[in-house]
Amino acid sequence: MKRKLMSLLLVGAMTTAMFAGCGSSSDDAASTDNTATTNDAADASTESGSSAEGGKLTVWCWDPAFNIFSMEEAAKVYQKDHPDVDVEVIETPWEDVQTKLTTAATSGDLSSLPDILLMQDNAFQKNVISYPDAFTDLTDSGVDFSQFAAGKTAYSVVDGKNYGVPFDNGAVIACYRTDVLEQAGLTIDDFTDITWDQYIENGKKVLDATGKPLISMQAGECDLIMMMLQSAGSSLFNEDGTANIVNNDTLKVVMETYKELKDTGVLTEVNSWDEYVGSFVSGDVAGTINGCWIMASIKTAEDQNGNWAITDMPSLVGVDDATNYSNNGGSSWAVTSNCQNKDLAFDFLASTFGGSTELYDNILSCGAIATWAPAGDSDKYAEGDDFFGGDAVSAKIVDFATKVPSNITGVYYYEARDAVAVATTNVINGADIATELQTAEDTVNFNMQ
Amino acid sequence: MSKPSMKLSLDKKHNLTGWIFLTPGALLILFMSFVPMIKALILSFKTGNGGALTWSDPIFRNYSQMFKDTVFIQSIKNTFFYLIIQVPIMLILALILASILNNRNLRFKGAFRTMIFLPCATSLVAYATVFRTLFANNGLVNLVLTKIGILSQPYSFLTHVWSARIIIVLALLWRWTGYNMVFYLSGLQNIEYSVYEAAKIDGASPMQTFFKITVPLLKPTILLTAIMSTNGTLQLFDESVNLTDGGPANASITMSHYIYNLSFKYVPKFGYAAAMSFLILILVAILAFVQMKVGDKRD
Repeated sequence: MKRKLMSLLLVGAMTTAMFAGCGSSSDDAASTDNTATTNDAADASTESGSSAEGGKLTVWCWDPAFNIFSMEEAAKVYQKDHPDVDVEVIETPWEDVQTKLTTAATSGDLSSLPDILLMQDNAFQKNVISYPDAFTDLTDSGVDFSQFAAGKTAYSVVDGKNYGVPFDNGAVIACYRTDVLEQAGLTIDDFTDITWDQYIENGKKVLDATGKPLISMQAGECDLIMMMLQSAGSSLFNEDGTANIVNNDTLKVVMETYKELKDTGVLTEVNSWDEYVGSFVSGDVAGTINGCWIMASIKTAEDQNGNWAITDMPSLVGVDDATNYSNNGGSSWAVTSNCQNKDLAFDFLASTFGGSTELYDNILSCGAIATWAPAGDSDKYAEGDDFFGGDAVSAKIVDFATKVPSNITGVYYYEARDAVAVATTNVINGADIATELQTAEDTVNFNMQ
Repeated sequence: MSKPSMKLSLDKKHNLTGWIFLTPGALLILFMSFVPMIKALILSFKTGNGGALTWSDPIFRNYSQMFKDTVFIQSIKNTFFYLIIQVPIMLILALILASILNNRNLRFKGAFRTMIFLPCATSLVAYATVFRTLFANNGLVNLVLTKIGILSQPYSFLTHVWSARIIIVLALLWRWTGYNMVFYLSGLQNIEYSVYEAAKIDGASPMQTFFKITVPLLKPTILLTAIMSTNGTLQLFDESVNLTDGGPANASITMSHYIYNLSFKYVPKFGYAAAMSFLILILVAILAFVQMKVGDKRD
């Protein structure tokens, strides 16, 4: 009976794949690939039962220089003990992962999903709560979640169950061009453990001396706003899921600070991500503040070797829980329900991303800094980086990460984020903060209906 | 073989052959196009997030909800701004270009036609990205304007409401004028050249020939392009996403862009998003109907 059902399903999947082929060839390739994998995995599980001998895992992730590289390294580490396990990484941009996931989950046909996929932390709650059937509970999978930074695992916990194995670190770092600061008579110490008020004062000095703003940000995106907010442990949502925008005093301070940054010219807004990266790589701007993964982009400016330094971000003024630490971005591995050989997937994740210092040492070169605590003790993390003046930046970032206040992303994170971004744009153009926040909260509440 | 089928008249036989040829295409359209449409209509009466959908209560809740949605209303306004400003300018430009290129005495006609039509061969995403780069703070436009002294410092075109909208209109003009021109050119081929010669002999000025001969005779083509452009503008998506990302503060977001956000960026609300797409369908239908009533004055 089961066999018949299975074959029926497969025939169904193949027909849909055939029809879907009309739409896009890449889709077609991916789904046929997956049908094949399903077969392999099914065979493997019937052969070996519980233990994970042989088999194949398909993985979706998006950055060849970063997470794909890391996954391939993980495969190499795992294959040392399990030579007959095959890991196939399919490069899928995050937007496509989200679209494909939505399509598969709403159609109820999960067969097009891979065994493991990488998910943005900010989208984790939304996807797990919207499509509970598409993900596998990892709480008892053998991965020791207590060894990960608590603020990080919180992104992938729904109803007390773990759905994701944390991958990269998004601890916020502030990066500065020391040679530019020097022209204004400042050093990196003038930017360490400071407040935003001091930052603006310093920024004015740099602006006067060199004509360069201290920081650039993408207009219409509110990355910096969210980083500032989290640095004081504040979120756009309350514990019970209701919006926390109008009565959020921290958010008001954040908005005021952002407006002042923009008005004084210390912050300049650009239109797109490439312009943003270009602004500090070309030296038009004296620094930036972002998740530590931004280092990979900074390092592309090889001519500025040794002229960069890293420190913590400024803290908010007049907010009780203000700290110099925050988080932006980062992602976690999820196991889908389509995974036919769950034991293999569990064992793979537990013995690589959840248990191998060797892996984390290998992937440090691409800027993937662990949220897995034991990795930070490795000697590799204490080594200096010549690009950043010989500073042991990795150890520094691991230290920052442990101090990041956790926040609540909630299910409606992207709705709230966009609403606040709209408010920010209007506030910069002179609108009243209180009315704009009210509009933002109304928009979010409307979306939550 | 049964007897009645042998007795098919020639006429019926021809009809049958026609239907046999039609069937595969018709069936494909039915299953690939109409069935999903009906499914979407059913979907638009459901609410819920993600896959868990239930019938909405009251049944038209999604449709009434729309008019309380400030972002959606903003997106309707934006879309109609593009429609009202861009479509007439584009069609007039296309008409002028077509009548210039239709001149028999013009040299290098082929080269000009190709050049004007070429933008249509570019991908929507690619050209939107190019426009974004052109109007960036350190982009070509700002560079030229500051070098010749019109601006003292770069103007951030894409972060100001009106300049952002106007750039989308400019981009659309660049992309689609040539496309519409080709329709007019082919329409002009059907107008006898002797009509123009006669007009010339009667002493008609170029302006008079344009308004008294070209425009009336091209009416069906103008109607066609107007309906197609209206339809295309109401479904505008790529430019909003790639050129301005709907910004600043949703000032240039289009209806389709918002529908996309609701389905894929935010917590998915497919019922609500489907209802919005049906509103677009209704709008397109109404506008096309009005245009046909106004434009088509055949007796």
